[in-house]
Amino acid sequence: MADLPLPPQPARQVARIAEQDEADLVARAVAGERAAFGTLVERYAGVARRVARAVLGNPEDADDAAQDAMLSALVKLEQYDARRPFGPWLLRIVANAATDRRRRRSVRRVEPLDVGLTAGGARPDTTTERRALNERLRQALAELPERRRMAVVLFDVEGYSHGEIALILGIPEGTVRSEVFHARRRLRVLLADWKEEG
Amino acid sequence: MKDPLPFDHRPDLVLGRALREALDPGDDAQLFTARVLAGAEHARAASWDAVLARWARAGVAAALVVALAAGYFVGHATAGSPTAVRPTVSDVLIAPPAHPGEVEVVLASVIGNN
Repeated sequence: MADLPLPPQPARQVARIAEQDEADLVARAVAGERAAFGTLVERYAGVARRVARAVLGNPEDADDAAQDAMLSALVKLEQYDARRPFGPWLLRIVANAATDRRRRRSVRRVEPLDVGLTAGGARPDTTTERRALNERLRQALAELPERRRMAVVLFDVEGYSHGEIALILGIPEGTVRSEVFHARRRLRVLLADWKEEG
Repeated sequence: MKDPLPFDHRPDLVLGRALREALDPGDDAQLFTARVLAGAEHARAASWDAVLARWARAGVAAALVVALAAGYFVGHATAGSPTAVRPTVSDVLIAPPAHPGEVEVVLASVIGNN
């Protein structure tokens, strides 16, 4: 795999951004201040959409689930305990919304891989190569159990701790560690294969 | 990307970057935010409708209770005392007349006319 110019990794970006003002933002949103809710949405839109996409695969479904979760969170904002971090609370709602949507979906729409990718066809440029890798990663994620998918995305992509992920997914911390480990093992094999092929 | 120890507590930056890009929704974050805020406005309006509808249902129920209560009390008041007994036709005919002479006068005039 060639060294791809990937965007910088904002480690723990979401969980760490100005936690102290989130309680204030929530209070203002509860009071009906549209801008405060908008700030919360802007802050968490990215992670919410990525987590939903890890569960659902399809980007449109993922955005619908993320939106449903945001609106559900708005309704439940009064129940939020301001002494706890906001991110895990919101992402638990997102994870539940995505899971519910996936269960409701009667037929899972899996977009087939490009034949050229599965056959290891020619990759004329970096953009195409990166797009192909992304597709393969999404496919590999889709093959993982749902909880494993969310665990590895929350840990390695979003930078949440095992404890926070345990809160989000409602599972013991040890289970989170195990899920992340198994997901990584599978995905690393894929990435390593890709590197060798490239 | 070395093979990690089991349950490595450190994020894998390479894998994280690759996954992040694979799941990245694109640069339409503002569009998404606008969509959520529009949905919030819609939900808020809908929730007000729901509140008003709830109030309307409660109002109709309360009005029904008030109407029934008022009907009961009005009916109760106009019905008079339950112990008062109205005389029947037979009672009136059998009872002795308050002015006994009137009947005889009427009878005599009727017979006289014949």
